Amino acid sequence: MIAGLRLLAGVAAAACAATALAASHTVTIEGFAFKPQTLEVKAGDTIEWVNRDILPHTATASANAFDSKTIRPGGTWTWTAGAPGQYAYECALHPNMKGVVQVK
Amino acid sequence: MTKLSFAVAVAAFALAGAVHAQAPNDAQIAHIVVTANQVDIDAGKLASTKSTSKEVQAFGKQMVADHTGVNQQATALVTKLKVTPQDNPTSQSLASGGKENLAKLNSLSGAAFDKAYVDHEVEYHQAVLDALDKTLIPNAKNEELKALMVKVRPAFVSHLDHAKHLQSTLGK
Repeated sequence: MIAGLRLLAGVAAAACAATALAASHTVTIEGFAFKPQTLEVKAGDTIEWVNRDILPHTATASANAFDSKTIRPGGTWTWTAGAPGQYAYECALHPNMKGVVQVK
Repeated sequence: MTKLSFAVAVAAFALAGAVHAQAPNDAQIAHIVVTANQVDIDAGKLASTKSTSKEVQAFGKQMVADHTGVNQQATALVTKLKVTPQDNPTSQSLASGGKENLAKLNSLSGAAFDKAYVDHEVEYHQAVLDALDKTLIPNAKNEELKALMVKVRPAFVSHLDHAKHLQSTLGK
């Protein structure tokens, strides 16, 4: 089993090195905050925002880089990171909720 | 002290006063939560139509949306728990403070309206947070009622920050 995992890890690492295999990341929305507040990803990675609060939120980047629109309580929204850069975003409903996605 | 801040002070005192008087029971806590939300919904409805500032209108709309959402959950919980919210002096004071605030706001317009509304929102959310922390959460016996208030608390913090931000930008 462990050998199998090692093999799998090795294959995964090789795949990453070769084709930059897309990873998936999660941002949890809880207590009116994005956790983690700053997330570093690679272009092509997917990011899923999961709303664990009891009220709707959004993940809305400036200049319309991405906009989840309303994510209901218990709902999720996924974005595939595009061009490298720093994407500051906020909840359009609660503008004091802020986050950053760094796409490398 | 203006009439408005006096009304807020009375409401805050009423909320804080519950600590010193007698601890509210769950049925009373539920009533206080629903009333506190309703008071802010009513003020938000007025601001969303009467304010001349887009930011203040948006904030008012958000207060209506969020506090309505909280009250739907509070109502669903008390229905599930078969608790009938019980009116009490704290709720009555909140309701009358809310009415005074609306009367005051109805007499104002333009920048004066925005300032009065936002100033009140700052003080009101602070007062409700104090009540949650000192009275409502500590005295709740039912774990689900307590958990709902703990879960709701960050919304009030967020609203308070948002209102303070608006307060700092008004008139500039």
